[in-house]
Amino acid sequence: MNENNFEALRQLLKLKRQETPPLGYFKGFSGQIIARIRAGEARGHSSEVPWLLKLLQAFEFKPAFAGAFASALCLLLVFGIVLADRPDSSIQPMLQSSEHLSGSFAAVTPAVLPQSVDSAGIIASTNPATSLQPVASLFGQQNPLAQQVSFTLPGN
Amino acid sequence: MTMIMAEPAERTDLEPAAAAPVAEMDLVRRAQRGELAAYDELVQRYQERIYATVYHMTSNHEDANDLAQDSFIKAFQALKSFKGGSSFYTWLYRIAVNKTINFLKQRKNRVHMSLNDLDFNTENNPDLVALISDKTPRRDAGLKELQEKLNAALLKLSEPHRLVVVLHDVQGQSHEEIAQIMDCNIGTVRSRLFYARQQLQSLLADYLKPT
Repeated sequence: MNENNFEALRQLLKLKRQETPPLGYFKGFSGQIIARIRAGEARGHSSEVPWLLKLLQAFEFKPAFAGAFASALCLLLVFGIVLADRPDSSIQPMLQSSEHLSGSFAAVTPAVLPQSVDSAGIIASTNPATSLQPVASLFGQQNPLAQQVSFTLPGN
Repeated sequence: MTMIMAEPAERTDLEPAAAAPVAEMDLVRRAQRGELAAYDELVQRYQERIYATVYHMTSNHEDANDLAQDSFIKAFQALKSFKGGSSFYTWLYRIAVNKTINFLKQRKNRVHMSLNDLDFNTENNPDLVALISDKTPRRDAGLKELQEKLNAALLKLSEPHRLVVVLHDVQGQSHEEIAQIMDCNIGTVRSRLFYARQQLQSLLADYLKPT
């Protein structure tokens, strides 16, 4: 490239050097900066931009970051909706596991309680009256975790 | 106080530091320890050049004032991270340039020009009078009109191209220093300068006499 080709342009660009700030502008310039630094130090960390504002500024300067953040939020929302729409699938394994456990509970429960426990006047047996069966609740729903307990009154 | 700069003799990369290299590093170290008096000295040393660069990039005095001040404050806050890999001057310039480019990206289409800050003596400057009468075919063009056209043409360039022209042709910095400031190689600086000049030449064809 030949610098001479642009000599006229370079001469014209010299005009830019004549654009000056107002008279005396630089006299107080450094003082203003130092004052602002001092004020910032005095305020300490409380003067820092809030994290939310910083995040918004990041979005402003980096649209890709904003897009990625929005996508992540959408994915999170969709994931939440999908989970919320599948309550049955989460209860079914619980039902199955409770049925499976009923046998093992019966195995460890003592068949006969010692008579000394009779002092309360009521013999309580923890033997299940039936195997674990879902019990209908007041609201028409079955509670999979409830189980019946039989009581034997003295003299009966 | 006017801000007429030196003639366009290219400065070398380390010129600002070379003027008083030890003193500058000493000031930087003291400022890193939190001595505001030392930082005040550094600000005074570079305020005019930083302001001028920002002003020529934005063509607006108020914006240049805010950006120059913000750049110095940001530099102070980041001073502890300055390891001396480049001169303080180059490091400071980088901060100011990045801040300005970010600002211009935000501002985009909002164009302001404050051209009423011309030095009153400019109209009587014999060199400029000669420049206008000799170098421009439109001899009736006034100084202010020329500056308006010049600024409008500069604002049509992309930020990197405008920055190269401002640093080299207006502020007289060397290709090497511009490469350091813009964090690119010298070849990129040269090609950007060539392209920017071509653009400006076509935009200002009415005001340029063919050589």
